[in-house]
Amino acid sequence: MKTVMADRRWIKEHPDLGTGPVPTDTCTSPELFELERERIFRRTWLNLGREEDLPEPGSYVVRELAVANASVLLVRGKDRKVRAFHNICVHRGNRLVDGEKGVCKGRFVCRFHSWAYDTSGQLTWVSDEANFYDLDKGVLGLKPIAADIWEANWKVILDAQNEVYHLPFLHITYPDFCPMNEHKFSRIQKFTRFGRHTVYSVELNTDHKMKPVESIAINANPRGGQVHPSMIGWFDFYTVFPNFCMLFLAGTYVTYNIWPLAVDRSIWEVSMYHPATEKPSERFAQEYSRCLLRDLLQEDASNHEAIQASLMSGALSHFQLQDEEIQIRHFHKEVRRHIFGEENGAAAIGNNRDAAELRLK
Amino acid sequence: MNTLLPNGFSDLEQFAEWALPTSTDRNRKRRASSMDAINAFYNAMRPRLEEILAYLDQFSLQEMPQDAQRLLFLSLSLAEVTIAVELFHEPRVTGGCDPERFVVAREITP
Repeated sequence: MKTVMADRRWIKEHPDLGTGPVPTDTCTSPELFELERERIFRRTWLNLGREEDLPEPGSYVVRELAVANASVLLVRGKDRKVRAFHNICVHRGNRLVDGEKGVCKGRFVCRFHSWAYDTSGQLTWVSDEANFYDLDKGVLGLKPIAADIWEANWKVILDAQNEVYHLPFLHITYPDFCPMNEHKFSRIQKFTRFGRHTVYSVELNTDHKMKPVESIAINANPRGGQVHPSMIGWFDFYTVFPNFCMLFLAGTYVTYNIWPLAVDRSIWEVSMYHPATEKPSERFAQEYSRCLLRDLLQEDASNHEAIQASLMSGALSHFQLQDEEIQIRHFHKEVRRHIFGEENGAAAIGNNRDAAELRLK
Repeated sequence: MNTLLPNGFSDLEQFAEWALPTSTDRNRKRRASSMDAINAFYNAMRPRLEEILAYLDQFSLQEMPQDAQRLLFLSLSLAEVTIAVELFHEPRVTGGCDPERFVVAREITP
């Protein structure tokens, strides 16, 4: 077994993360939410989809990014390059493309005054153009947003990562999901930081007791018992700052895009990916793992809401985090660093024990 | 409704109401059923599961006779209720959120 069972091991590797409690204000304050919007979500790379969402030249997807107050048009050009634009006609700001997705055979035409753009964002037609004054179509294309294809380079994403929200709930329903110490407390195998991103890995617990149908389902998955060579553990959980997570398991992976709507509301997009199969028994195995994960996540979702409701009461000013929650410590430190700047952000999660007092109203 | 299953599996035709084509419908059926009904379905299917999967593997998912596809849907419903039987011991996720708030964005067919 590669997992080290000793207590307080991660903080020795990451002493800069401190041991003090972590403030809860970023989860409750509308003012800090606005700062997150400005300083995190409008400034960092965000995962908006997979390359397959744009299969052919002209394919487009519209994503409403409430957290960035933006409607984003993702489109594959005739040159096959994927580009992202603000979904706004530059004439007077009308929303350019309605609908969620489609294939643009010719041009994107604004229904307001018929201005038209090609799939590379170039403004190609202005109705009554001669009646404008100094209009230069060449410099007036759709407003671009930096975009690239992440999944095409998924190994590059190994440079980025983390988070652990769902592990505690897995302990409840799947008590022997991961290796445990002699007190039956779980221990992760490895925790690694890549700048703002993290990954934690869990080793396969060979003592896991399988139930009858579960066992048949696991055995029907031809990749079920394997660990991909590029994986660290049996289960790797990457958090790509700020809001994208990737969970790699044998023969499958799952992504979360967590989209803030308000300080206390989010959309949680869960995508489960399985190898394409024509084989019914593999389909059964995949269905089992999907049902299992969905139910575990429903347990999780219930927890999240209970926590949020508690936090909004204002009774709890800080989270108490232990060594196995170091992923969360790192994540909150990064959030604060982005909001408050390098020094102030770090100071907020230092070793200051004074901050440990619970402000009970 | 045609409830016929392939030769050798006709004893499972009494559970034809579980042969539902979408995961959303299968999940709703599970939640609307009593634990007795779920256990009866699970207990009838479980001992036959390996035989069922071996039978189904003669076909590809895209080209399957109707009766085999019904058997496939039954097995997918078994995957659904297994979580209720083997984990939660009740139809719903114990302490879970309102399951209707998990909206399936893309069904896998079949």
